[in-house]
Amino acid sequence: MSQPLNYYKADLRDFKFLLFEQFKLQELLGKGIYANWGEDEVNAVLGEVYAWVTKELGPLNGTGDKEGCRLEDGKVITPAGFKEAWKALYAAGWRSLALEEHDGGQGGPFTLHSLAEEMMCGACTSFNMYPALTQGAAEVIQRFGTPEQKERYLAKMYDGTFAGSMCLTESQAGSDVGAATTRAVRRPDGTYSISGTKIFISGGDQDLSPNIIHLVLARTDDAPPGTKGLSLFIVPKVRLDGTPNDVACGGIEHKMGIKASATAILNFGENGNCIGEVVGGVEQKGISQMFLMMNFARIGVGIQGLAVASSAYLNALSYAKDRKQGSSIKQWKDASAPRVSIIEHADVRRMLLDMKARVEGIRALSVKLTTHIDKVRVLGEDNPEAAYHQGQVDLLVPLIKAYGSDQAFQICATAIQTYGGAGYLKDWPVEQYCRDSKIFSIYEGTNHIQAMDLVGRKLGQKGGANVQAFAKDVATFVAANKEHPVLKDQIAILGQAMEALTSTAMRFLQWSSGGKLELVPLAANRYLEMMSETAIGWLLLDAAVIAIAAGEKLAADHPDRAFYEGKRYAAQFYAQNVVATVPMKAQQIGKEDRLPIQISDAAFATI
Amino acid sequence: MKILVPIKRVPDPALKTKVKDGAIDLTGANWVVNPFDEYAVETALRLLENGEAGARVAGAEIVVVTIGPEDAAQQLRSALATGADRAIRVDAEDKALDAGVVVAALVQIIAAEKPDLVILGKQAVDGDANQVGQMLAGKLGWAQATFAASVELAADQKSVLVGREVDAGVEYKRIGTPGILTVDLRIVSPHSVKNNVTPATFAYPDGPRYASLKGIMAAKKKPMDVKKLSDYGVTTTPVTREVGIELPAARAAGQIVADIPTLVKKLADEAKAI
Ligand SMILES: Cc1cc2nc3c(=O)[nH]c(=O)nc-3n(C[C@H](O)[C@H](O)[C@H](O)COP(=O)(O)OP(=O)(O)OC[C@H]3O[C@@H](n4cnc5c(N)ncnc54)[C@H](O)[C@@H]3O)c2cc1C
Repeated sequence: MSQPLNYYKADLRDFKFLLFEQFKLQELLGKGIYANWGEDEVNAVLGEVYAWVTKELGPLNGTGDKEGCRLEDGKVITPAGFKEAWKALYAAGWRSLALEEHDGGQGGPFTLHSLAEEMMCGACTSFNMYPALTQGAAEVIQRFGTPEQKERYLAKMYDGTFAGSMCLTESQAGSDVGAATTRAVRRPDGTYSISGTKIFISGGDQDLSPNIIHLVLARTDDAPPGTKGLSLFIVPKVRLDGTPNDVACGGIEHKMGIKASATAILNFGENGNCIGEVVGGVEQKGISQMFLMMNFARIGVGIQGLAVASSAYLNALSYAKDRKQGSSIKQWKDASAPRVSIIEHADVRRMLLDMKARVEGIRALSVKLTTHIDKVRVLGEDNPEAAYHQGQVDLLVPLIKAYGSDQAFQICATAIQTYGGAGYLKDWPVEQYCRDSKIFSIYEGTNHIQAMDLVGRKLGQKGGANVQAFAKDVATFVAANKEHPVLKDQIAILGQAMEALTSTAMRFLQWSSGGKLELVPLAANRYLEMMSETAIGWLLLDAAVIAIAAGEKLAADHPDRAFYEGKRYAAQFYAQNVVATVPMKAQQIGKEDRLPIQISDAAFATI
Repeated sequence: MKILVPIKRVPDPALKTKVKDGAIDLTGANWVVNPFDEYAVETALRLLENGEAGARVAGAEIVVVTIGPEDAAQQLRSALATGADRAIRVDAEDKALDAGVVVAALVQIIAAEKPDLVILGKQAVDGDANQVGQMLAGKLGWAQATFAASVELAADQKSVLVGREVDAGVEYKRIGTPGILTVDLRIVSPHSVKNNVTPATFAYPDGPRYASLKGIMAAKKKPMDVKKLSDYGVTTTPVTREVGIELPAARAAGQIVADIPTLVKKLADEAKAI
């Protein structure tokens, strides 16, 4: 058994910068739905969650990875320490930050909840899957359940008495959710008899809570095929009268990462005795009900990526300060020159700044997105002003999910590279971060599904109003800062990227109407990347404008000076090395290269 | 039963100390509650609750007090967030304080609050002076038990039995209330605090508790009085004076010696270790 050690690190100064200097959460605090919340409470929560995760969850990350989950007598056993952590989590109350007071929560800002989520996930990704999915399942019931269903399940799912799971995937129904064949047969009393097999169900079984409330997508016999015919059912592992509900765990998967999160095969109704109730009492609403949750789940996956990548970066940074190797290039002729820390080597610094810019940029995107959610909450969904904010949420969700997760894996790989050989070993946390992070680009809809959501649905949503509002926000920023004494060159790069992005979107429209539809999926992932890079470039530059102004006011040796300086470097680096590639990518897309479609199957390989 | 816990804010001991112009550089310092004072708050909480049920005993009150500038309110809030009931901040700049001034203020606060026990950290990790508890007991003429590693509150709440780690082992002292207790690190071990209410078998987690979300939100609504030294008639001024501060000399690099006789000789002649 390896020594339980915490490796999780977070730079809370960055969290506070985003909250109070860039996105001005304080403007929403102390009034309306956030009347109970002030800056002090927000800061106290950040500090306490960080203290809590580094002590309680962080040490479980490595040991949980090593021990993994196992199946004994059809029951999943989670690694040592998980049960205690589950209890401690619900006692501390961190999951109820943003829940309404009548649900036992504190009605806090969603943005704060998301930063707390980042810390919990970064400290132990596998552990955090169980409570996060429980919350997701509870929120479906909260939003769509009948009053009786809410009464029956919610309080216990919010306080950790019950856990939850989301059961969509079947062996023939992965990306193609509509191919699900799990059956639901109406019973005389209005409940349903459920039968079928779901696979890959995270938290499908565990020993943390005595009951699990599964949300199961299934089809009634008279329902049409495809996604529209699906209904969503509440299927407890144990019926509320205490009798078992014929839900059996048929096995768990052996995986590359998140090994302490049980990924279960679930057999429903093997003995014809599995009873479920339909969410909200209405059939064939399953997909739209799941979809609303999908927004939150997808943001959650982006945050998973951010969380792990951020800790990978900060660990690589501290290792780079410590590890001595080679001498300064300035003394390359002198074999006896003193050995230096690897952070003094230019290429190591490049990797560190690259990771810093990406991590902080993705966090800025995440905080922007969650701030829009808070604004919708503050204004009320029906308020016409809320439409702009909801539009930006819808637009940015595929970005945070796909770019956040793709980048996470890359950043973890860069972190390993920064360590050198040590990074490849189990002695350090980055190899696990890398393995854990790979799943994020796959579940909750693969990243290609996200890219198709962006170009197929989101660009055209509300007649293109959402994407136009985004373009206008970027253009306003560029116009306001194009003469910036420090950043003007990078702001010009941002302006060019935004133009390239708009022209590529126009191109998609022409392709769609001009008989070249097959080119759209080929360019979709690249377009999502371009849009993410433009958005992040903008947010990093916006941060740099704020940071430069704030830094000038400080004494030369004030510790915040270095922080603000870092913001400037991150923004300039990202603009010059990443945002600058956006017009090139647009050009490339414009060439209508269809080689991957044209190559014959046989030409891929001779075996 | 009422317990008063004086707390002090200190620069985060986990961070490197910077010295500038002969003084510790506190620009942008990250202030935290002195760790021993956190243990004192934890001790008070454990003494006045049923740990297993997670419920306060009837009639119990914990008052935290600090003497310091406006920012120090944050440290009081964090004590309130873990479960203290009420806070008092006596406004004063750090420069205007030394152990003597702090004790003079505490004597007056104690006269007004009439606590049954005053629990303090054995020392603050900034100056490591280790004076306030003892001086306070002297000024008040109360019984004191310092460096408590364990404490048991008698069922009648009229006395505490205190375990202190001394060179020869553990020394037990019983002091009556009202009295002064200063606490050491061990006081926050799982079984160190007993109160004849929490079942003896109950094990606390090691270390002081975290604030829960509910605790943080409740802290906002708990009373915090702000007073001035003059409200307590304190006119004492510091008698200690900081002459200068310098970091310890950097350690010299190690040496590799050829053989054991050289090592022994160096240990004897240079290191004077043998
Ligand atoms: C560790 C883990 C945990 C999971 N947890 C859950 C859970 O809790 N609940 C749950 O319901 N599911 C869960 N899943 C399932 C997960 O959501 C699916 O694996 C995912 O949706 C992809 O489906 P698939 O594996 O069948 O891949 P496929 O759908 O077979 O995809 C294979 C490849 O083909 C591509 N592809 C598929 N269809 C298309 C298309 N129409 N156009 C273009 N490309 C396409 C995909 O992008 C991918 O690259 C989990 C999976 C894993 C590995």
